[in-house]
Amino acid sequence: MGNLRRIVLDVLKPLEPNIVDLVRKISTLSGVEGVNITIYEIDHHVENAKITVEGEQLSYQELHDLIVENGGAVHSIDEVAAGKRTVEEVETHQDR
Amino acid sequence: MNNNRLRWKSIAEFLEEIQNYNQIAGIAEIARRYFAMNAFDGVLTTIGVLAGNYLAGVRDLSVPIRTGIATSIAMGISGLWGAYLTETAERERELADLEKISLIDQSETSIGRASRFAAIVVSIVDGVAPALAAMIVLTPLFFGSLIQNPVLSYALAGGLALLSLFALGMFLGKVSEKGLIGYGFKTLLAGLAAIAINFLLGAE
Repeated sequence: MGNLRRIVLDVLKPLEPNIVDLVRKISTLSGVEGVNITIYEIDHHVENAKITVEGEQLSYQELHDLIVENGGAVHSIDEVAAGKRTVEEVETHQDR
Repeated sequence: MNNNRLRWKSIAEFLEEIQNYNQIAGIAEIARRYFAMNAFDGVLTTIGVLAGNYLAGVRDLSVPIRTGIATSIAMGISGLWGAYLTETAERERELADLEKISLIDQSETSIGRASRFAAIVVSIVDGVAPALAAMIVLTPLFFGSLIQNPVLSYALAGGLALLSLFALGMFLGKVSEKGLIGYGFKTLLAGLAAIAINFLLGAE
């Protein structure tokens, strides 16, 4: 099966563990070269986070399990990229 | 998900997990609060035991020692049970609230484990603090045969109680990052008030 290079997730997570701890934990997963977590909504007990992970050989299952283990729920997989190189989204006429 | 009970490969990993639990559940802060509150209770209760025995004319020190130990055991059990049940109830409610919002079972996540771990640690602190404080205050009575003067043993125990209260106040002062001595005097005042009221009511 092809290698995953980028995964972008929409995650609902508790305020603790905070994103500093979570981003460090994700960065230790095998195959991960870089992670970014951006919070776009905060509620009383939870927050919505966009998690972007990039690497040569990512494991979606490991990433998912780590998020669940830390109390988060994956709402959606918003973007993925796989193959020999990362292909960016291409703008089409419909996007204009 | 890893549901293994023995999830740590080394002591460093175990310590890291404890630190993680502390961060999630705020264990150190609440344990510190329980420690100060219950050690304070322990010292003041023992002051009561000492004053009661002294004013009742008890000069056989085995009586206040036994009463003191029995009281400290009762305080320890009370702290342990009370804190465990209260903390468990509160944290279960918090976890249930979080589960309702996140729509996932949090019991086997790091949050669920941190919550259970916090209840255990806090209840141990809550049980040990008053019992330990009471035993420290009773120390001069244990050396009654060496001191050979029961009234002096009572006085030394009272002095030690006041000193413990002052030290406890300083600990609180350190926590608040305000004046250590000021806090020390505030807790000391409680001890002096307890002794004074006991003596006023007990005077014939």
